[in-house]
Amino acid sequence: MLIPRRVKHRKQHHPSRSGVAKGGTRVTFGEFGIQALEPAYVTNRQIESARIAMTRHIRRGGKVWINIYPDRPLTKKPAETRMGSGKGSPEWWIANVKPGRVMFELSGVSEPVAAEAMRRAMHKLPMKCRFVRREMGREMGDV
Amino acid sequence: MPEVRIAAEPRSEFGKGGARRTRRAGKVPAVLYGHGTPPRHISLPAREFAHALRTDAGMNVLLRLDVDGGSELALAKAVQRDPLRGSIEHVDLIMVRHGEKVTIDVPVTLVGEAARDGVVDQQLMVISLEAEATAIPQGIDVSVDGLGIGDSITAGQVELPAGATLQIEADALVVHILAAQSAEQFEAELSDAQADVSGPVPVGVGVAPDAGTAGAQPGPAEADATAGAST
Repeated sequence: MLIPRRVKHRKQHHPSRSGVAKGGTRVTFGEFGIQALEPAYVTNRQIESARIAMTRHIRRGGKVWINIYPDRPLTKKPAETRMGSGKGSPEWWIANVKPGRVMFELSGVSEPVAAEAMRRAMHKLPMKCRFVRREMGREMGDV
Repeated sequence: MPEVRIAAEPRSEFGKGGARRTRRAGKVPAVLYGHGTPPRHISLPAREFAHALRTDAGMNVLLRLDVDGGSELALAKAVQRDPLRGSIEHVDLIMVRHGEKVTIDVPVTLVGEAARDGVVDQQLMVISLEAEATAIPQGIDVSVDGLGIGDSITAGQVELPAGATLQIEADALVVHILAAQSAEQFEAELSDAQADVSGPVPVGVGVAPDAGTAGAQPGPAEADATAGAST
């Protein structure tokens, strides 16, 4: 799973969920991608589950890119604990994903295979997503 | 290469308010510049411009703009889009002349079948070429037929269309063939990854405290973090 090797601060504030992605909104490395349509915190487990779902479907062909990185810790207070006594302990690593962000990319497989692999991966993610294609110099219309 | 004729209008409203009014009226704000002339702010009909970009020439479509009683040849230099809706928000247009050489990005398409147990890894999706503005190639086909594992094709080996010259280094990698994992390796990797994901959440998962963090107790969480990061 993706985990930062070293962090400057163990506990951070919750990242902002407003706005849309200002970069990484197009398929850059592969031929197909999964684009977020809603803001969400994506944990490293969800990223890995989506990658596994995709890889299981495409088998040994193809190449997968992960364009997001879970570099922010989220904390949680233990159950049945009274409020106060400081911030809880780090519980998850999350990537703060905004709408428009292309999170995963895939290449080396046919479009129907890629679409099905990405449909399976989308079920592992906590927001609405869609399947997008690289523009290849021609405007695809649905991207 | 055919030209697409579009009737443009001069634009006098600027800023986000003016730009939004222009878009609501079914137009795209644009700026036209080049050849040392001062930039001209214009608006294009959104629907016609979107159609022009969907022709075979794609983003390299040659536009004939009728503006202010004159006519200008132009290429789209930068197209800004809404990341979710995909609608065109603004266009930078650069003026060109007949016979003028321009540098453009031409898409690369792979054709043929490479080695059966190899994975085709395309490194360059577009290649920068210098070509005449009125004879821009629509794309470059690169054949991967007969390539075996470990073989590669560089930009210098690609057959370029007549009149075009390469604008990137000749040894830039376009495509290479990687060896696919064996079935055993694939299954082993997937089962390891699955075990990692479905395992219990360790307490204070994944925090590798900074050396300067006083009083932090490195426990099993830190070991997990280090193991996770190195795999």
